[in-house]
Amino acid sequence: MAIPVTIADDSMLSRKTVRKALPPGWDIELTEACNGREALAAVNAGKADVLFLDLQMPELDGFQVLRELHEHHVKTVVIVISADIQPEAQKLVAELGAFRFLRKPLQPEQLAQTLAELGLI
Amino acid sequence: MTVPLSEEQRDALQELMNISMGQAANALARLINAKITLSIPKIVLVSAGEFQRIFQSTEHWFTRQSFVGLVKGEVLTLLAKDGTNTIGKLLDYQIPMDEVSQEELLLELANILAGACLNVFSAQLGLNTKLSMPTMFSSQMRQAESYRWISTLLLEVEFQLEATPFDSRVVICLEGQSVDTLISRLNQLLED
Repeated sequence: MAIPVTIADDSMLSRKTVRKALPPGWDIELTEACNGREALAAVNAGKADVLFLDLQMPELDGFQVLRELHEHHVKTVVIVISADIQPEAQKLVAELGAFRFLRKPLQPEQLAQTLAELGLI
Repeated sequence: MTVPLSEEQRDALQELMNISMGQAANALARLINAKITLSIPKIVLVSAGEFQRIFQSTEHWFTRQSFVGLVKGEVLTLLAKDGTNTIGKLLDYQIPMDEVSQEELLLELANILAGACLNVFSAQLGLNTKLSMPTMFSSQMRQAESYRWISTLLLEVEFQLEATPFDSRVVICLEGQSVDTLISRLNQLLED
């Protein structure tokens, strides 16, 4: 069965970069979100077993989304893809339960490797 | 004046700058073991006269660097005078700093921030730019009339050191013809 996957990023370019980096043949049902609020809505609608999450977003930012998911013990697998790669951001994201932190610009091989490591492909 | 960019072009340009700024902030954050707050990148087109106005700030030190490659221009780094001591302390400079140490510190900061900003930006678009070392710059050194160009595209990002007065702005300035090259590269990226 297709896995529900959501890409949450306010940048069109970055959403496209993630979309293009997804392994070919990976059976998913893809949803895109432009801000944190839309990302949470996608999770709540069961559209995000896997969530690719940007950190700097309007409405709710990525940290707030993570906090919300963390507080409600949501089982979504979150992979953060961020331009802010400072140690403090990486640490906070891990504390808030994200599985992986990938830096922009996203390398497709790295995404594939991460998905493999997490047993998603 | 806003640059006539399509929504897609502007989005892409901003995101490329976000990524560049993120790497620059990371370099500084690791060096001084602190957190840097990032801004939303600004993209504006200015005339030589408007450009000159940047230098009216008395609250900043200025450095400049020029770059060549598929696009040409300069990178200006504004560093808050107020925060110089804060950063100096974090980097084990003796406070108060003498003029020589202060200049060394400012040039080092400019090198880290502007270097990462331009290099990461340029690499993402394959612009193959080479950046000169920074030098201190004073606005009295140049008049608006001495600029070769009529208008320039400014790509500006701002870094703030959390809980301190230190802030820095890095402004990438592109001359007319280089703006066309940039936009055509941007379009290639979007068509991919």
